[in-house]
Order: sequence, then structure tokens, then C-alpha cells
Amino acid sequence: MERKKGFAIMSYNTMPERREGPVDPMPNPGSTEEGGGPRRPEGDSPEKGNLLKRMKKVDPKQAERYRQRTGE
Amino acid sequence: MLNRIFGLETEYGLLVHQDRPERSPTWFAHKLRDHIFNVQRRGVLDLHHRGHDEPPGNGGFLTNAGRIYLDMGHVEYASPECHSLMDAVATDRAGDRMLQQAIDDLGWTDQISLIKNNIDHETDATFGSHENYLVTRRFPFSRRGLAPLVTFLVTRQIFTGSGRIGSASPQDAWVQIDRLIVPRAALRDGTSAVQVPFQISQRADHIMNDFFEWVQQNRAIVNTRDEPLADPDQYRRIHLLLGDSNMAEYATALKLGTMGIVLQLIEEGHAPCGLNIQEPVETLQEISQDQKRQWLVRLESGETISAIDIQEQFLAAAHAHCHGQDEETDWVLAQWEAVLRDLRGEYAALVGRVDWASKLWLLESYREAEQIRWDDPMMKSLDLEYHNLNRDKSLYDGLVEEGRVPRLTTDKAIDLAADHAPKNTRAFGRGELVKHLLAAGCLSESNEPKADERLFPSYVINWSIFQVRGKMPFSMSDPFKTYVQEIRSHLIGC
Repeated sequence: MERKKGFAIMSYNTMPERREGPVDPMPNPGSTEEGGGPRRPEGDSPEKGNLLKRMKKVDPKQAERYRQRTGE
Repeated sequence: MLNRIFGLETEYGLLVHQDRPERSPTWFAHKLRDHIFNVQRRGVLDLHHRGHDEPPGNGGFLTNAGRIYLDMGHVEYASPECHSLMDAVATDRAGDRMLQQAIDDLGWTDQISLIKNNIDHETDATFGSHENYLVTRRFPFSRRGLAPLVTFLVTRQIFTGSGRIGSASPQDAWVQIDRLIVPRAALRDGTSAVQVPFQISQRADHIMNDFFEWVQQNRAIVNTRDEPLADPDQYRRIHLLLGDSNMAEYATALKLGTMGIVLQLIEEGHAPCGLNIQEPVETLQEISQDQKRQWLVRLESGETISAIDIQEQFLAAAHAHCHGQDEETDWVLAQWEAVLRDLRGEYAALVGRVDWASKLWLLESYREAEQIRWDDPMMKSLDLEYHNLNRDKSLYDGLVEEGRVPRLTTDKAIDLAADHAPKNTRAFGRGELVKHLLAAGCLSESNEPKADERLFPSYVINWSIFQVRGKMPFSMSDPFKTYVQEIRSHLIGC
């Protein structure tokens, strides 16, 4: 499969009908300390945002209602 | 990525928000499929029997060259063949988007939810997220050749797992010991399964073997079914069913990207040696359930080593042999390194990138705020809500809204990926075929196959071949080729 070497891997550059790729489709890891992820949530908690509100809206019974068949 | 084709198949759970629902989840699943094909006209339904459990009309190919169909009562979406990780992420999310749009169109937003997870806490049912990777036929598909892959897969869950509350009951399984086939329970030391508050993988409890060809019982770390869906003289398809469905785009890309690189290491003989795990299946479950997150692994050599150490050995080999070969490979190497480094510290640093960490952080925060126990039923419900496709409800999307999740694609790219196939694989040609059939109006008004179509279908589409009535079969045996010009020529006059 050597012939595949050099294949244009970033297909957004070659896809006229799908030009809306992200400006930087593969963001760099960022600072080494941060490890490339989002800002660290140390010291804060969901109470400061809307996450706790969202969690409080969850129906406590929904796991009981979620009756699924085994698939593959 | 170099020399690789990726694909994901996702089975969704369907939650009906009623105490005594008049309709079953399967009824809703049928209606969603019908709406997508008959009303939204996103693709063409199969007119032929694809198998004993896939009669005509059970599902079909989409204009993005993926498939939506029903499998064991679940709605399932198979992405088109992707050559880049970015396309793989966008097309995977496109499936989520299409299905949620169908729910919204039907006015069922408050009535049902599709849940992109892999377990039912109450019944121990499990359903999969299957991964597909194209390799050459020369890939060493033997116990010995696959041993490094088993080690990698058992330990990768530390960054690919989606996490869950509790554990599954012990699963029935039969395993072969020399010439004897015995119940796996006979090999255990008699201790019963311990309920854990939280574990990092959803599927670990449901994997019973290291190698096996079935997909519904005795699920294996490596599925051995030989079904390349391509030229069998050139290619093999590595089909995995041990992974969890990921909500985080980052986790999806890292799962596919690291696997693509490890397959290359094995193909080229550069995989790290001496890391064979003594009991891979048990270790898979022990790592997942380890509450201290030490993730210790006993090797055949007798040495004990952590899953992070093992992953770092694979990473070192990948750096030595794959660095610089293309942009996506380098991205994967950098992110793999960053995640492993962060896994040595507080897991909260991984929120937004690793699903189990995001979920655990949310659950712990809620539990502390509300002063409830891990076994409170609310915890299971929150676990499900993390995976809800409804962005107004999903806890994952709550993290996105809070700016805690790195995105690798955009909403517009996802919308485009729902309508159009990747343009650098055979998916491009198949997408053109589906668009042609829709435009030609060769289907009835309702897009339902007529009775005579079942006997003499006007088209038959499979992953690697199709035939349109009156024309010779058209083979697409090389997934790296787009076939688009040939297909356009082939369809003239149809």
C-alpha cells in the first residue's frame, strides 16, 4: 500500500461541497501543562455554571423507564 | 491517516418518557427510520434481502453514503468510509444530528430521547459501538500477531471509556481451554461480582473472550469474523465491538487515531514486545472497575505494570516509527501523550476530552451538592442523560455550552457531513449513486419498496458493489478509490 503515501489526508481542503471545515481542524495541544484540553476545572464545580441546573431537571425515574434489548 | 479507512457503527438506545408508554421503543425506531427515508428523503431503502434479519425496507444507504437501519430493535447508524479522522468525527456526529432532527420533525422532542450509550442499567442489556479499520491482507491475523493489539485494546479504555454507574451481572460465556469448552465461571475463584459505584468502561463487563467471531454472544476483544467488504485478496477489515460510544469528539478521534497507528506498528513489525497480558478478559474488567484508578496489569512474564505504562510503550514505538508521516498522525501522537500525562494526575484535568472523566466529574459534583449515595436511582438517570442526543438536555452538551469541551469539528461541517459523503473514499461514488436514485425518482412516492421491487429490485446497493436494473453489477472493491467518474458514466441512461 505504499502507493497511498502522500495521500491528501485533510480532505476538507479538497472537498468543494464541504468547505465548512473548522479553520484549524486539528487544534494544537496548547501548553504542555494544560495537556491540550479545555481549561482545567480544578477548584470550580458545576454549581458555578448551568450544569447543576441541567442535572436537577433530569427525571430520576428515566433509568427505570429505559428498557432496551441487547444488540450486538 | 496514512493507509487507513475508518468507520463507526452506533446502536442507539431509545428512551420513552412515560410511565406506561402506549408504544414501544421499537415502534418509535421504525417511525424514525420511515421519516428519514420517506419524508426527509435522506437516502434510499434497501429493496433486497441483505440477510435473514435485514429484509427489504429495514434500512438503507444515505446521501452521505452511510446507512441507517434497525438492528435488534435498535436504530443503528453506520458511518461512510472515512480516510481522515476529521471526516470520521464529522460523519459520526452527522448520524446523531440526523436522528435528533427526525425526532424534532416528528414533534417527539419531549416524548422520546435517543441515548448514545451502550448499556441498560436495569436489565444488563448491552448494544454496541463497533469500529472498523481497513488493513492489508498481509496483516498478521493470528493469536501471536494479534497479541500486541489485545494488550493495547485492554488498556486503551483509560482514555476511550465512557464510564457508567455500577456493573453488569456476571455474563454467561463459554470458553475453550485446549480441547475442552467450559463455562467461564468455572475458571473463576468463586467470588461473585462486586457492585462498584462507577467504572470507566460500559462494555468491559460484556466482553467474554479474547478472540471470537460472534457479535451477540461471547463478545470478544478482537472479533475474528472475516468480512473485508473490499477485495479479499488485498484487504482485511478489523472489526471491534469492545469500545464504548463516545460523546466527546476528542475521544472519538483519539480512539480511532491511536488504533490506526497501533495497527500500523503491528503491520510493520514495530509493536512493543513482551507486553502480553496474562488474563486479558479479566484484566479488561479489573481496569474498568478499579476504584483507585491504579490500573495494574499482570503480564505473562509475571511482571506487574500499569495500563498507563503500557500505553506509553505503544506511544514511544509510535513516536519512533510514525512521527512526521502526516498531519493527523502527529496530532494523535501529541494528544495521546498529553492524555497519558494527565491521567497520572487528577482526573478532572481530562474533563471534556475523556468521557468517563467528564461523567464522573459531573456525577461527583451532583452527588456532593445533593448529598445522595452512589446507588441512588438518580445517578443512573444522570448517567443516561450524559448521552442524550437532545442538546438541550444532554449533560455532555451542557459541558460544551460551558466551554469545557474542545471541538474538533463545527456544527456546519456536521450538517454537511449529513448530506454529503467524504470525497476521498469510495463513499463519494456511493453517495453519488444514492443522490442519482433519489433524483431519478425511481422510487414510489413513499419511498417504500413495491411488491414487484422485492422480486426484481431496480437497484441493489451493498458496501462494495451495486447494481442498477438493466446494467451490469458495479464493483467498488477498493475503498481508497472514489469511483465517482466511473459511476457517473455507469448511471447515464438509468
